[in-house]
Amino acid sequence: MKKILFYILLIAGALIFLYPFIWMITASITPENQIGNLTFLPNKLTISSYTQMLGKIPIGRAFVNSIIVSSAVTLGVLIFGSLVGYALSRLEFKGRNLIFYVIIFTMTLPFQITLIPQYIIMVKFGWVDTYWALIVPYLMNALGIIMFRQYFKSIPQDLIDAARLDGCGEIKIIFKILWPNSIPALVTIGIITFMASWNEVLWPLIVIRDSQLMTMPQLVTLFAVGGSADSQLGVKLAAATMLALPIVLAYLFFQKYFIQSMAATGLKE
Amino acid sequence: MKTKKFIPYFLVAPYIFHFLLFVAFPVIFSIVLTFHQWNIISPMKYIGLANYTRLFQDKFFSQSLVNTLIFLIIHIPLQIIIALLLAETLNQKIKFRGFFRAAFFLPVIVSGVVVTILWQQLYGFDTGLFNKILTAIGLGRIGWLVDPSWAMPSIAIMATWKNVGLYIILFLVGLQTVPVHYYEAADLEGATHWQKFFKITLPMINPTIFMVVVLSTIGGFSLFIEPYVMTGGGPLNSTLSAVLYIYKQGFFYYHMGYSATLGLFFALLILSVVAIQKKFIEKDK
Amino acid sequence: MRNQFLIILFSVLIILLLISCGSQKERKSNQLLFWSSNNTQEIDFARYIVNEWNKHSKSGKVSFQPVPEGQSSEEIILAAVVGKTTPDVYSNMWQGDVEDYARAGVLVAFDTLKGFNDFIFSRCDSSVIREVTSPDGHIYQIPWKINPIMLLYNKQIVAGLGFKEPPANYEQFNFASEKYKNENIDSHGYVKKWFGYSEVLVTWWQRFFDFYPLYLAASNGAPLVKDYKAAFDNKYAVEVFSFLRNLYQHNYFAKERLSARQDVFLSSIIATRFTGSWEILHAEKFKPEGFEYSFAHMPVPNDHQGPVYTYGDPKNIVIFKTCSNPQLAWDFIHFMIDKKNDLKLSQLTNQLPRRKGLINDSLFAEYFENNPKMIEFARQSEYVRGTDPYPNLTEVFDIISQEYEECVIYGKKAPEDAIHEAAKQVNLLYIK
Repeated sequence: MKKILFYILLIAGALIFLYPFIWMITASITPENQIGNLTFLPNKLTISSYTQMLGKIPIGRAFVNSIIVSSAVTLGVLIFGSLVGYALSRLEFKGRNLIFYVIIFTMTLPFQITLIPQYIIMVKFGWVDTYWALIVPYLMNALGIIMFRQYFKSIPQDLIDAARLDGCGEIKIIFKILWPNSIPALVTIGIITFMASWNEVLWPLIVIRDSQLMTMPQLVTLFAVGGSADSQLGVKLAAATMLALPIVLAYLFFQKYFIQSMAATGLKE
Repeated sequence: MKTKKFIPYFLVAPYIFHFLLFVAFPVIFSIVLTFHQWNIISPMKYIGLANYTRLFQDKFFSQSLVNTLIFLIIHIPLQIIIALLLAETLNQKIKFRGFFRAAFFLPVIVSGVVVTILWQQLYGFDTGLFNKILTAIGLGRIGWLVDPSWAMPSIAIMATWKNVGLYIILFLVGLQTVPVHYYEAADLEGATHWQKFFKITLPMINPTIFMVVVLSTIGGFSLFIEPYVMTGGGPLNSTLSAVLYIYKQGFFYYHMGYSATLGLFFALLILSVVAIQKKFIEKDK
Repeated sequence: MRNQFLIILFSVLIILLLISCGSQKERKSNQLLFWSSNNTQEIDFARYIVNEWNKHSKSGKVSFQPVPEGQSSEEIILAAVVGKTTPDVYSNMWQGDVEDYARAGVLVAFDTLKGFNDFIFSRCDSSVIREVTSPDGHIYQIPWKINPIMLLYNKQIVAGLGFKEPPANYEQFNFASEKYKNENIDSHGYVKKWFGYSEVLVTWWQRFFDFYPLYLAASNGAPLVKDYKAAFDNKYAVEVFSFLRNLYQHNYFAKERLSARQDVFLSSIIATRFTGSWEILHAEKFKPEGFEYSFAHMPVPNDHQGPVYTYGDPKNIVIFKTCSNPQLAWDFIHFMIDKKNDLKLSQLTNQLPRRKGLINDSLFAEYFENNPKMIEFARQSEYVRGTDPYPNLTEVFDIISQEYEECVIYGKKAPEDAIHEAAKQVNLLYIK
């Protein structure tokens, strides 16, 4: 009896969490004037919402921008995070603790306080409306550094000593020894960073004004808020579907890693 | 090799550089900016404490803080109850657990923009799904996004829907740390399901609950894209979040100094709240 | 070895940083860059003008591009000003923005350029010139074109309600609205068609399509801001708020956002709309068979005297100080706004140049014959106002919009209180 209750609850839950997305997808291929009456499937299918959207906003370009920015940021976080994480976990030097506390401090700092000055720095450097503005501020991630430090601590010292004996420099140690042995950390930090970077909207809204450089979520946001999509719901939903697609596809393939990553962040807090 | 001693410094140097440029300098500059008036295109003008006096008389800012409070009061309990309930259910021996877990988690990874556009339609007064259901069962329509008393709660509900998957996962992890023999011992004493839940489960997952509360609070304070897309801060400024107001002051009116002042005040507020929450929960332990 | 790699990495990073710090586009002094708006027809016009100029000019060539696409052209311009990447000439500047840029010192004063003063008085009315003169006595903008906001109405519906002429004042407008409502209400009391519609948006520029033109009409073109103080705390603003509030309270105007559906005017869901001449192009393309529409002046209070003014949504031309040859820029602009090219503007974009005496001008006669609907706009263009020459106008309109929301849309405040409060806030704004 209890089991049946559980299943009912779970199925209801799954429906509640999945149905809106299903509605969104079906509505995006429904003719504009039938969307209001849509419940499950439309009588007529159409891709006009998509063709209209493609004509109105450079969504392909935005997709590319997001790929470039998110990949660069993820790569940067993984590389720089490893460098610092390694130094903090396995090397002795003066100021090591200070830096560690500084990193913890930045994690507690709310972004609201640095928003305006960071924008002004972008202006002064001439980085407004460039990829630099989107990438550089995010190259270092405190959480990433902490996680690398934690993970590297657990790597056996003999592995590193052996490498040193072989004449490896520190950089080689990080990339040839530590990385192959830290796949879970790399995957976790990689996924979290990529996802966060992909979904970031506030910062791009502030530093990017040129629509050729906008990231995908930023473009869709402005499309939804601005006037060019105004009377057309289907087009808005088409844009939203396009925005959701890449991450959802990645999610379907790497589901296990996504969920594990998020669980891992929770444990670190 | 001589350079060996300096290697650690080379490794952390990029971080130091980055920190100085993107954290230290901005914080200091932010504080300096609060004493000035600046619209970016003209030179900065020193105005002493004028921004601060304005902040304390600003009815929009106080409104935004009230709005945030309303959001948190609805969002956090809802989040915890639903997440805990579903996590408990998932923790049982059931089939297709992976599928359910994936379904609940889907809204978490999707961009907030997608969720907002979607729910804007669901909340539509005339043609939205929710009102269609309400009228179908004979009830009246609700002005989800157009009634000032409903707008922020509507956003809170949507935010719960979006994030609860993450917290289900966190609770699952927490639930699984509870040693099984506790339950077995309780079973021997004939405890009911509820007794087990309140006497064993809840206390053991207290740290997880605390984490959920803190994360939700920080999330609530960062509320921006939802009101920005869905309501623009309205109706009657009932969904104006603090971040949205800071953004508006800075990037819409170009009152850079005042915006920085709001940001500074709000950041200190967040830190205080989180610190209080920490003290509150630590005392419990 | 490995450490050298790091050293090189840093050096590269630092060099990149230094390089990207401000790259200026060096323009030769006899080359101009002209930014037009990114409206398709205006791009056609710009292309025509630039080609003609380049064909005949001996003093310098002009290249043009539409203002880069972005959140809004205002934002792009601001970003350009901040990054010092402004063009030489920009033709889509909203009149309300000019004062902010003038004070920041980024605009060239036209009255210092040779040939300007003589020409401008021959093209524009003295009241217009007064309107665009800054408090410091200089003129930083050229009034280029206007799109007067008027009452668009469905001829059949209005005639069907018993009106020989479209409703001219509030009383007539309310009467027509009430009648139309009663003809279109279903058994549950749900209104399906409305006499008019204005976007229920709190966005500041939405007031250009409801409050502001009505205020100018009621007050015969009175200012909103004067001497750094709110000038609208008067009976006209209160009457306008009352009129609009009434429309929403009686459901003569829809409170819900109808723009989520297809064009509500062309599908006869609404009978009137406050809008500009850009509607004509759209309406001609999409109107159903037999659909007839026209334009009339904005409704005014019942006791109104004199001509009916309105808001002209003026877009003006400016020269940025980054221009190395302002005199050449002015010569180019002079060419762009001479009578022949003003006519071309109307022909290509269906918008009116802000030139005096259009109605009686022989050159424009044929144009008006072919575009009779534009005659109403040309008549109205004699009685058009832009914005007052003060900074922070966006915020002024935003303050008014906040009170508008509370009073007009939600009926939570009396019109007098709303106007008082708005005026108070505006005064506070200018104290700083």
